Amino acid sequence: MAKRIAVVISQGQSANPAKRQLEEDLVSALLFEPGIDVVVIPHLYDLKPDGTGALALQGIAGNMIVLSWLYERAARWTLDRFGVRGLEGQSLIKSSDEDEDEESEEDAEPNDKTRVIDTRPVPQRRIYCIDLRVHNSAAPYVEEVKRIARENSLQLMPLSLGAALSPTPQQLQRMAQPTNDTALPLPIVQPGAKSPTPPAHLEASASASATLTEAKTPTDSAAQLTRIEESLDRRWYPVIDYSRCTNCMECIDFCLFGVYGVDKAETILVEQPDNCRKGCPACSRVCPENAIIFPQHKAPAIAGASVVADSLKIDLSKLFGAPDSKESAEAIAIRERDEQLLLAGRAAVGATVGLPKRHSDAAPPAPKDELDSLLDALDDADL
Amino acid sequence: MSDSPGEPLTFAMGNFIAEFPTDRLYAKNHMWAQRHGEVLRFGFTAYAVRLLQDVYFLDWTVDAGAELPERAEIGQIESKKAESSLYAPIAGRLARFNAELLADPSAINVDKYNGGWLFEMAGDGQQLLTPEQYLEHLAAVWEVTQRTIKGQMNE
Repeated sequence: MAKRIAVVISQGQSANPAKRQLEEDLVSALLFEPGIDVVVIPHLYDLKPDGTGALALQGIAGNMIVLSWLYERAARWTLDRFGVRGLEGQSLIKSSDEDEDEESEEDAEPNDKTRVIDTRPVPQRRIYCIDLRVHNSAAPYVEEVKRIARENSLQLMPLSLGAALSPTPQQLQRMAQPTNDTALPLPIVQPGAKSPTPPAHLEASASASATLTEAKTPTDSAAQLTRIEESLDRRWYPVIDYSRCTNCMECIDFCLFGVYGVDKAETILVEQPDNCRKGCPACSRVCPENAIIFPQHKAPAIAGASVVADSLKIDLSKLFGAPDSKESAEAIAIRERDEQLLLAGRAAVGATVGLPKRHSDAAPPAPKDELDSLLDALDDADL
Repeated sequence: MSDSPGEPLTFAMGNFIAEFPTDRLYAKNHMWAQRHGEVLRFGFTAYAVRLLQDVYFLDWTVDAGAELPERAEIGQIESKKAESSLYAPIAGRLARFNAELLADPSAINVDKYNGGWLFEMAGDGQQLLTPEQYLEHLAAVWEVTQRTIKGQMNE
């Protein structure tokens, strides 16, 4: 009856004690929840492709909840990049009101384009990504994890992403024995069995590396805690949101650093992530579908937010020397690319190579308010 | 800071007295600069640190070795009170970052004029200010700084 669910906690890069505390509070609270296994990994985005953390994630076969200091989209498609795929689980905790945004975004373009995601099979399990920046205490996350765990232990997997539909017998059959070759094995729980022993979906990861530290709990039903400790360097590379990507190839035409490639099915992929130029998000700016995410970029739209969330902190960039920026996205992308070409000892190309076929569809600037005037005063003050 | 020769200059930020050692130069973006052999070493001034308070996270968006124009964006910082992008104080080659700060940025707060240095750049830095000039600059921008903070807080 009880289907176990893995809860992955991806630690932040920041030394902010409140963030660290939140992570540890989550671990402590979830350890007492039946049917939950907790895996603590370093910052998801920085994981090495063949490192312990990535292997541990790949070893989780069933449903999973991933809590990270990233936008849900960024987390989901970073996981995709590591080969960790599944249906998108819907959490009630959202970093932004996605539904409203999607509607306003797609006013001009009717949603009739084929997205890459429509053309590839998805493993029949669900992955719930939750942004740890939404709440500043552990309690709401613990409640949500428990809610998702309940949802997954009671009902079998609904196939629709939105409304929970009852699966047909045929669908149930297919879930039990997937016909596509990319499906990951689900932990099979025998009806009537007292409890699944041990959490089968974590076995692979636990044996994957000797550096795992495990704290086994005495009973089978209580949580198992796995902590992945891996020393990581900061990374910088794009992740593609294949639910938006239309395989239009603008990015591969624009990027001159060989980051992008195509797979055997001629589908765009980030082939050489470490060729990417640190700090440069230019390809994301030229993507017509806003499908390219740089999870660590400071602009929420590039980092995977659906709508821009206001920060509660003061932005001191103007005081610390930020230049004026009234450029279009396209102009910024061309400038950023030229900057990176020059840094790499190559010649700038300006707008002559891979210029996107569309024009920037950025929203017109909002009317000026008091703050704008204040910031204009800052611009004039030569700080 | 006891090894700094002479008395530091001071600037009153409300009740807080920010100190500026006189053994170095200053950039308008609130960094100090001190020559170390071939390169200039940069760090945050007391003015910047006072605005930031406890620094939690620092990230560089360029790699060491990069040739940068003045005011090129080079990184991000997050602190208890603020977040900001960071910009090159002068034009030149970014020679080296203080790698220790990436794992633990607290030296920016506890030892800003020594161990909390941020990066080193090779460049002439002709436009850097003397401590006296920097203080004049602070006096000129203090009003705007206060307005920035208050304006954003009232958002």
